[in-house]
Amino acid sequence: MTPPTPPPGPRIRLTGTPMGRMVRIAEFGDEIDPLQREQLHAYGLSGSHPVRVLQQQPMTVVLSEHVELALEHAVARHVWVEPA
Amino acid sequence: MSSLAATAPLTHTLALVGHPNVGKSVLFHRLTGTYVNVSNYPGTTVEVARAVPRHDRSASLLDTPGVLALPARSDDERATMRALLNEDMRTLIQVGDAKNMRRTLNLTALLAELGVPMVMALNMTDEAKARGVSVDVAALGEVLGVPVVPTVATGGEGIARLTEAFAQAAVPAPLLRYDASLEQEIEHIAALLAEHAPHPRLAARGLAILLIGRDPEVDAWLAAQSGGAPVREAVAQLTAAVGRDTAPARLARERNAGAETLARTVTRHADAGDRSLALLAGRVAVHRLWGWPMVLGVLYAVYLFVGYFGADVLVGLLEEDFFGEVLNPAVTALVEQSVPIPWLSDLLVGEYGLWTMGMTYALALILPIVTTFFLAFGILEDSGYFARLSVIANRMFAAIGLNGRAVLPMVLGLGCVTMATLTTRILHTRRERLITTYLMALAIPCSAQLGVVLGLLGGISFGATVIWTAAIVCVLLFTGWLASKVISGKRIPLVTELPPMRMPVLGNVLKKTGGRLKWYLVEVIPLFLLGTLIMFVLDRVGALPWIISAGEPLVTGWLGLPAEASAAFVMGFLRRDFGATGLFVLQDQLDMVQAVVGMVTLTLFVPCVASLMMIIKEQGLRIAATMLAMIVPTAFLVGGVLNFVLRLFF
Ligand SMILES: Nc1nc2c(ncn2[C@@H]2O[C@H](COP(=O)(O)OP(=O)(O)OP(=O)(O)O)[C@@H](O)[C@H]2O)c(=O)[nH]1
Ligand SMILES: [Mg+2]
Repeated sequence: MTPPTPPPGPRIRLTGTPMGRMVRIAEFGDEIDPLQREQLHAYGLSGSHPVRVLQQQPMTVVLSEHVELALEHAVARHVWVEPA
Repeated sequence: MSSLAATAPLTHTLALVGHPNVGKSVLFHRLTGTYVNVSNYPGTTVEVARAVPRHDRSASLLDTPGVLALPARSDDERATMRALLNEDMRTLIQVGDAKNMRRTLNLTALLAELGVPMVMALNMTDEAKARGVSVDVAALGEVLGVPVVPTVATGGEGIARLTEAFAQAAVPAPLLRYDASLEQEIEHIAALLAEHAPHPRLAARGLAILLIGRDPEVDAWLAAQSGGAPVREAVAQLTAAVGRDTAPARLARERNAGAETLARTVTRHADAGDRSLALLAGRVAVHRLWGWPMVLGVLYAVYLFVGYFGADVLVGLLEEDFFGEVLNPAVTALVEQSVPIPWLSDLLVGEYGLWTMGMTYALALILPIVTTFFLAFGILEDSGYFARLSVIANRMFAAIGLNGRAVLPMVLGLGCVTMATLTTRILHTRRERLITTYLMALAIPCSAQLGVVLGLLGGISFGATVIWTAAIVCVLLFTGWLASKVISGKRIPLVTELPPMRMPVLGNVLKKTGGRLKWYLVEVIPLFLLGTLIMFVLDRVGALPWIISAGEPLVTGWLGLPAEASAAFVMGFLRRDFGATGLFVLQDQLDMVQAVVGMVTLTLFVPCVASLMMIIKEQGLRIAATMLAMIVPTAFLVGGVLNFVLRLFF
């Protein structure tokens, strides 16, 4: 049922992704606490779906399937992404 | 719109459920004719509302608070879960967002396991179309095994078809199977549930998934069942996490993957190149440079509309020209002629007269101001700007141990602190709720109070308004900072959705303003009259001069106000805005510093009776009493210090 995962490539932090770039969420670091991890899943921020980085300051904002999500850097820093 | 009683009679119940801000409340209005507040931010509805649907007068339709996901994690989500557990739930109407099928189906995957017949209203199809998203409704209905009806709730499209579909509601086919180890746990718990504590409506499998996901409401329900103990024990033994993910997070991830696969097969995306003005406004609102100028611009526009047009122009017309020159002289003459008893006529039209003081304050002074304020507020709510403010204000809120999510209750507090205290339910931890509730009780002036403040200070100078604002913001930040140090617990970083900016719907703004004005008239006027009566009695029995002289050291000495201002503080115990009106009528005797100091002190003074009741309801008597015991001294402390500081300059 899990969609095919892309071949492992270089992973970068979501906070380090330039504006306008499309990325795939690779994984959440251990630093993100379980409740917040669940919340990220619920927002649809997982799996192989690409998201577009809209801005990094004052918060990271990504567009995930027509919905804008704002993430504080304390969280976005521990979201690992790979180029889509 | 009664909230859910613990012993709700079991009537055939349908419920609108879905993510926050997808249009449940608009649909509720369409289906029942009962209006509940609709706004463009997640978390408008925080309590279950109930009304009789038009299609079946013997049934009952519920509007529920939006859930980001189940298991429930915040108090508003828990209210939804409670309704699912305790009502005679016959049909679930999932309201989905057509432009985000992945998320919609993620929730479907859970709801489908509850074993309740379902219908899906695929709402916001207009916005989906504008973004080039099309959903194969027939295919989706086929896979889920339930009717799927595309709707545009705001335009009334698809409502008739949705109503017809209720008759075809069916228990959906499960969307996914979890991985083998999770499935094993689910089956184990479900079997125990079926044996020891079967639920009259909800399927054991769905409840098992929620229990493994640590849903507090399902757990509370189970604890209340006579056969619940063995099931709870079995759940407690399942704590073992696999790898770094806890069981709840694993369930969420697998559901997400399942939803993703299905969403992909039924949705098509075309590049619509949507470049509207709303989109641009949305970007500017959270921009790191342009965000702040926009905040100031919005504030200034509100000031012009409420502080100038409402408090200056309209109040001038009403209070001075109409009440002052025409109405009150006429009423006074009439009363003095027809009421021969002097004290009675005094009670009606004297210095502390029910008409000349109570009604005149309420109708001529505050009503025009709150009306303009509610209009401006409703427009901003509908635009979606408030949700974006949380991005801009997040850093500032981090300093006081909160995150940007708390912006929403605080901003709503400017409308009515009582209602906003309820909205703190959208916050995720007890600590956040406590700090936010306290700060609102202390330093957030509600619309009526704000109106009087703007009326008095705006009349003096724009600078006076700025000093008042700065003082209140400083108190807010400093107290918040202290509170975050004193109240233990971790700060939660902000992750939030930003709903699209939308053109405000005039009809909705007017309806909401009407509802709020009704609240104002019903709640505030009786209190104003009561307050006037108390003042009248105090004056008659000669207690007022005594209070004025007793308050002298504090009011005159410490705050530097004229002795008569003591009366305003007595009035302020009833409602802060009523007290503020007491200062307002003294305005000719006040210089700028006195006006600012008086208003700052009264703004902080005490929460109104209604909001105090709400704090007791949400936080308990002890916490409410503690808050009150801290708020009153803080108000006088700040007022005195401000007096001292301002005297250095003015
Ligand atoms: N464009 C468009 N906007 C809609 C539609 N339905 C609702 N809205 C808007 O979406 C916003 C949210 O509507 P609500 O009915 O308050 O949403 P809700 O699901 O009750 O939200 P919560 O109470 O926060 O869970 C409002 O600004 C509505 O005007 C629709 O079909 N199309
Ligand atoms: Mg609602």
